[in-house]
Amino acid sequence: MALLALPFILGDGYYLSVMNFIAFYAIVAIGLCLLTGYGGQLSMSHAAFFGIGAYTSAILSTRFGLNPLISIFIAQIVSATAALSIGSVVLRLKGHYLAIATLSFTIIVEILIIETAWLTGGLQGLSLIPYISFGDFIIDSDWRLYFIVWPITMLIMLFSLNLVDSRMGRIFRATKESEDIVRLFGANVKIYKIKLFVLSSVFASLSGSFYAHFVNFISPTAGSLMFAIDIIMVLAFGGFTILWGALLGAASLTFLNEYLTVFADFKRTIYGLSLILIMLFCPNGLLEGLKDSLSRLISVKNAGGD
Amino acid sequence: MIIKIKDLDVFYKNIHALKKVSVSIENGKIIGLVGGNGAGKSTMIKSITGLVPIKNGKIFFNDRDITRLDSASIARLGISTVPEGRRLFAPMTVQDNMNLGAYLRFKNEKKKDIEKDIKKIFELFPRLMERKNQTAGTLSGGEQQMLAIARALMAKPKAILMDEPSTGLAPLIAKEIFKVIKSLKNRGYTILLIEQSARMALKISDYAYVLESGKIVLKGKASDLLKDESVQKAYLGV
Repeated sequence: MALLALPFILGDGYYLSVMNFIAFYAIVAIGLCLLTGYGGQLSMSHAAFFGIGAYTSAILSTRFGLNPLISIFIAQIVSATAALSIGSVVLRLKGHYLAIATLSFTIIVEILIIETAWLTGGLQGLSLIPYISFGDFIIDSDWRLYFIVWPITMLIMLFSLNLVDSRMGRIFRATKESEDIVRLFGANVKIYKIKLFVLSSVFASLSGSFYAHFVNFISPTAGSLMFAIDIIMVLAFGGFTILWGALLGAASLTFLNEYLTVFADFKRTIYGLSLILIMLFCPNGLLEGLKDSLSRLISVKNAGGD
Repeated sequence: MIIKIKDLDVFYKNIHALKKVSVSIENGKIIGLVGGNGAGKSTMIKSITGLVPIKNGKIFFNDRDITRLDSASIARLGISTVPEGRRLFAPMTVQDNMNLGAYLRFKNEKKKDIEKDIKKIFELFPRLMERKNQTAGTLSGGEQQMLAIARALMAKPKAILMDEPSTGLAPLIAKEIFKVIKSLKNRGYTILLIEQSARMALKISDYAYVLESGKIVLKGKASDLLKDESVQKAYLGV
């Protein structure tokens, strides 16, 4: 409800645009939260899928003149297929090995985007990407986009919250604890991991597609390593195992991003330092850490009262 | 004979962990498998459940060869495990852990029936009922072991493999666990009980095997083994 009222308060302008960027981040982060926080699969390939989603849809609509709604849809199929083929290979790996394999995938995608300039525009990027439109109704303002992208974010959030509590979600959470034990209860862990990987990658890709059609311009940074780290930052702020935290994390990072622009290149240094500090003191994420210390404080108080 | 293990050879790289081991598990009985550290007890369970590759020999479940099946398929046939060290899903609630035990049943059975079963199992473990919404990690050692057993029961197993259920528990609590295991047998469950504390295991088992550095060195009725001099010397500390 508050989200519904927000645009009327903020008006069509800078802050509404920031809100939309929060949604782009949040959708990717929700996907990664499911995969890493709940499923225990440490993946760095979400930036790549964001890039695939953005570029596929952008190329199809600019170079082949497809309606963005159709190109977005096709982009998700492309991403899902890519995720399926990558996932079924790399998900045999665990922990850091999986992180390295998915990281390599991100690097490969980034290089491919840069090197296939005839298709992707290379380092110059791809511009003049058409807006999403429903007939004559063109999504060309922050105001209009807000009412598309936030309901989708909320739907994805609701879907994910339900998923986590379902029979499938229990398997994800248990897989994080021990794959072998989950197998002992008859679940085919491999297929579950692939399903989760595909789902979570498509979330990232969907966000990428929307981003491309709203900003009208994409460059290789969309699928880059830095973006992969940004998403990890979102989870580091919001907590790896709190889905709502993905929203808060996305908000904090986006605002931080805006306010830290004065530091220019030092921004990355500040990010790096804060990531190290968060990992050191609250390995499950800042929000989770705060929640823990709060509950500890309360229990200490209660114990003192006895 | 519900599970029949014939001439099993298992290697860890070049360590011969099980040497031509044959074990039969009869329906409705508790079969004990005792032995010291590194005798190959846990390897037995891991080979039945498909967690370690088997070099030679065969394992039959109700006359079906399951030697080369993967863990999930073996579980589907109705073999449930209480793993060593309990291996609960610590951040998940007691209820969720039990639901996971019933994972396969959620596909074909009504939720109501499964919930009914949870209630029945809670009657067996009233303390778990009180802690139903707590995470498994916050339970005491004894409660965790009970949850591990409860989780295995939720699968409606035809046979339960228990790997050292008394490890790390205070003697009194271990006793309680053994009482529960015995009561399970009276309810018709078939159990393979692997234990280091030989006395307690032999007391509740019907038939037992003694495993020593990967070989079965003795077998017989558990009551006879309790009286056997060599067993008394080596495992019962008499």
